[in-house]
Amino acid sequence: MEFNEGGGNSVMPVLQAENVQKSYRMGELTVSALAGVSLVVQKGEFVAVMGPSGSGKSTLLHLLGGLDGPSEGEITLAGQPLSKLSDNQITIVRRRKVGFIFQFYNLLPTLNAEENVGLPLLIDGQSLAPHRAKIAALLERVGLADRKHHRPDQLSGGQQQRVAIARAFVNDPEIVLADEPTGNLDSKTGTAILALLRRTCDELGATIVMVTHDPRAASYANRVIFLKDGQLARELSNSAPGHNTQAIMDVMAGLE
Amino acid sequence: MFGSLPLLTPLVLALRNMRVRWMRTALTCLGIVLGVAVILAIAITNESTLRSLRSVFDEASGRASLVVLPTAGDGEGLDETAAARAAGQPGVVTAAPTVIGTTLLARDVESWQFAVSLSGQAVGSSLQILGVDPELDPLVRQYALAGGRWLQGEAYEAVLSETYAGDKDLRVGDDLVIVAAGGQERLRIVGLVRREGAGLLNDGQVAFVPLPVAQDLFGRAGYLDEISIVAALEVANAPAALEALKDRLGERLGRGYDVTYPAERGRLVTQMLSTYQQGLSFFSVIALFVGAFLIYNAFTMTILERTRELGLLRALGMSSGQVLGLVLTEAVTLAVLGSALGLGFGMALARGLIAMLGVVLASDLSAFSVPPGGLLQSLLVGGLVTVGSALAPAAQAARTSPLEALRTAGAQAAGRPRRPAWLVGGALIFVAWAALYALPVRPEAGFAVGGLAILLLLLGATLMVPAVVGLAERLVRPAAVLAFGAEGVLGSGNVRRATGRTALTVAALLVGIAMVIATSSLSGAFTHDLTSWVETALGGDLYVRSPQPMREQFERQLAALPGVEGITKIRYFAVRAAASALASGADGDTSLIYAAIDPATYQSVGEFQFAANQGDPRANWARFARGDALFISTVVADRYQVQQGDTLRLVTRRGEHDFYVAAVAVDFTGQGYIVTGHWDDMRRWFAQSGVDRFTIGVAPGYTSQQVAETIEARYQAARNVSVETTEDFKQKITGLSAQSFRLFDVLGLIGLVVAALGVINTLMMNVLERQREIGSLRSLGLTRWQITKMVLAEAGTLGLIGGAFGLAFGYVLSQVFVDAVNAMVGYDLQYIFIPAPFLAGAGLALGVSQVAALYPAWKAAGVNIVEAIKHE
Repeated sequence: MEFNEGGGNSVMPVLQAENVQKSYRMGELTVSALAGVSLVVQKGEFVAVMGPSGSGKSTLLHLLGGLDGPSEGEITLAGQPLSKLSDNQITIVRRRKVGFIFQFYNLLPTLNAEENVGLPLLIDGQSLAPHRAKIAALLERVGLADRKHHRPDQLSGGQQQRVAIARAFVNDPEIVLADEPTGNLDSKTGTAILALLRRTCDELGATIVMVTHDPRAASYANRVIFLKDGQLARELSNSAPGHNTQAIMDVMAGLE
Repeated sequence: MFGSLPLLTPLVLALRNMRVRWMRTALTCLGIVLGVAVILAIAITNESTLRSLRSVFDEASGRASLVVLPTAGDGEGLDETAAARAAGQPGVVTAAPTVIGTTLLARDVESWQFAVSLSGQAVGSSLQILGVDPELDPLVRQYALAGGRWLQGEAYEAVLSETYAGDKDLRVGDDLVIVAAGGQERLRIVGLVRREGAGLLNDGQVAFVPLPVAQDLFGRAGYLDEISIVAALEVANAPAALEALKDRLGERLGRGYDVTYPAERGRLVTQMLSTYQQGLSFFSVIALFVGAFLIYNAFTMTILERTRELGLLRALGMSSGQVLGLVLTEAVTLAVLGSALGLGFGMALARGLIAMLGVVLASDLSAFSVPPGGLLQSLLVGGLVTVGSALAPAAQAARTSPLEALRTAGAQAAGRPRRPAWLVGGALIFVAWAALYALPVRPEAGFAVGGLAILLLLLGATLMVPAVVGLAERLVRPAAVLAFGAEGVLGSGNVRRATGRTALTVAALLVGIAMVIATSSLSGAFTHDLTSWVETALGGDLYVRSPQPMREQFERQLAALPGVEGITKIRYFAVRAAASALASGADGDTSLIYAAIDPATYQSVGEFQFAANQGDPRANWARFARGDALFISTVVADRYQVQQGDTLRLVTRRGEHDFYVAAVAVDFTGQGYIVTGHWDDMRRWFAQSGVDRFTIGVAPGYTSQQVAETIEARYQAARNVSVETTEDFKQKITGLSAQSFRLFDVLGLIGLVVAALGVINTLMMNVLERQREIGSLRSLGLTRWQITKMVLAEAGTLGLIGGAFGLAFGYVLSQVFVDAVNAMVGYDLQYIFIPAPFLAGAGLALGVSQVAALYPAWKAAGVNIVEAIKHE
């Protein structure tokens, strides 16, 4: 039973991309990386973006996160059209509304696990002290409660990615963007990370957009979007996350 | 098809790499340029100054192979007949007599000022008059007539240097009205000589008159000041034959005559200058270190940055030898380029330094000569240090396994401090300490050992840095957080990531700051002692001087003037210590200044500043007053290894004589090459007379100015005296000392520039290496300004650590400098803590690091996020 607060308008999507295009100049050539993609992500959704190499999936993620600006089209993140914002304002949106998870974790080697998780708060000029409980809870959630004083070089790849996940959620983001989060991990560790992401999505109601080329990883999403040559090629709903890998592989095979 | 492929020789690869990484190439090159330039500039400066000063003495003697001088400096002089006797000796072609007098234009009397310079020469508006034989002298000295004619006969006429004539607006046909022993005299100007050869004498302030005229003018009838001997070619060119002639002449002329080589007359001036030059040479040692350091730093970084690329080349089949060759080719190319530019810059720098030194020495230093040794040295350093610095990183690059290199993202610079590094560092510091303080070092090796010890100290301190950088960062972090907030935490922590690199940067700052502090402290210690000496020794309120020695009887007339409470006389002349008096091992310079004073009146206006442990001053004065005694300077005590109670043997008119050393005193006159003796001893042993300076104490109720005016009104015209207040003179001396240290400040600044280059280098490297990290921080929400602050915080932490090390090391180095100068020159300087240079040092460390960080910070802030996070 859904209950709409104040007025009868529909729930605003967390993320909206309208006819987003991106082209790069390489010497004399203009290369089109994205040739008009539209996409809507609702709150609580776990969306996977798939596609062969060069299909533009990473470019799309960068545009969605405001790391780069589109050549054409508009992206609206948490109700804010990014094209209307300055570089600094976009940075603040990223800081407060977006969580990032990278293939290579990108933890700061000088900080321990706890500090790395708190980094977005630190960047926001906040003191970590009032957030200790929250950070501890996040580390507990990713299974690293006993590793909070370890530095990245004292942690395994899987453990580092867990820290990165905790970091992505520390500022209660509207959306978490993950770029090949299991790309650098062995399959067993990868599976654990995916299960963690799925669980977080279910339990915290988080919204996740994940780029991957791995059908098994994509199967953890509610919805899988397929890109080819910079355009939306197909879309697949997944009612049973964690399964249906074969269906995804079939679509991929059709695209390649 | 294949023929059109460019040849990828190591040289081509190296050149391409240098072009692509132009920023780093420029920084490395700049390091080499600075290193080579400073070493060369100092060598040129030393050589050119010496040559300029020597040329003055060489011009005085012209083609003369030998010079006959009176034994005890000036005074009565040589008997006129000696010239004829010398000329009669076999092997002597010409014996040209000269009488030298100093005077000034009658119209300049009022404006005449006694001027001082570092070299001890009195310069100013005085005119030197050389009485010469018009027939003989052109055979000895070179005269280039610019107008008029040369002297003829014995008329009252003069040939003037073009320089002086120009300054004073005099022309051929005018009268030269000068001040002479008997009052004003007129000489008709018959010719002008160019500013070359003899025209260079006394800095161009010179006139030539017939010998009998000069004898008349200066009351020297029957006497000469020197005889220039031109020997026959076969004698002049054979050292043994010339030495034999020198001995024969000495024997034939007998007692009271000194036959010397012309060059020896310049000794006193050049030996005074040597103190200064040793200071400069110390700088060239440090310049060598910092230059080497910058080159090493830049090279290590360029290799670290390219670990991946080199790994790729290894994976593609390049042998480790080829990798080594590639890196070394780059080093050699840079060495050639940097050294060539360095030579150019070094010569330009040398011109600047010589110009400054010219002001300090109050001489026209026109010579500019590049000593081949210095040229070779700077080129060797440029080449060897560059290639040497490249060797370690090149070897490391060659050793890296292809896999490891490819796996490394960017590079992981040396991680933990390696134990042996700080052990070696500690050992080096200990060795340096031992060399400086614990081991007996022979004086002639002093400079070499001192220079080496300072090098070892710097190197040792550098090696110690990595071991403590972690601790230092933790201590400094709160300051970074205070200044930069959360970004301060990130930036500050970054300095712990590549300890090796941080160590090099901290060391660069350390060296720069320590240099600034040490030179300031040395100058402070010197100024402090000089000031206290000036305050005690330069007693009295007024100085009365004249361009010519004044009569002793004048003392009574001055004493009778109203407002004169006390008066004492002083006379300076050159003496020589007996060669046997020199401490074993010291070289043969034995020229000293003898200051004759009258103990009966001296203490009424002035005091002596005795060195430490000289007992009761009254007892010292009592012994001095008995005669046959000296107060010697600390420099002389050190040089001749004599103490209070010993004797010092001087060459007198009556042969060598031992003088009792009544006390050792602080005295900076003539750079400390001075002994003070009794007025009566001067007359008895050196046959000198006349007064160079009266020092007057002004009675209460009168001002110095009033008394000065009284003296000037009464005696300025009649006796050609000038009056100067002691205060003015003190200011002149302290001003001169400040000026001479300014030269060192310039060199200290070069050290700071090198430090700044080190910081830029490190931060650029860090920024380049952490592209991905900066990208991910930006994606996590760090704004460009926050990134800038983060880099500035990192630089600030480096600055704080480098500054702290620099202050500590500067403190140590200051004492080493002071001790080294004491040991080398024989001063008795005390290290005194002056806060100003330390504050300046701390400020400079922070300032330099922040300014140097601006470019890297700007580059970091401009990082393209997408490109950066893709970067793996």
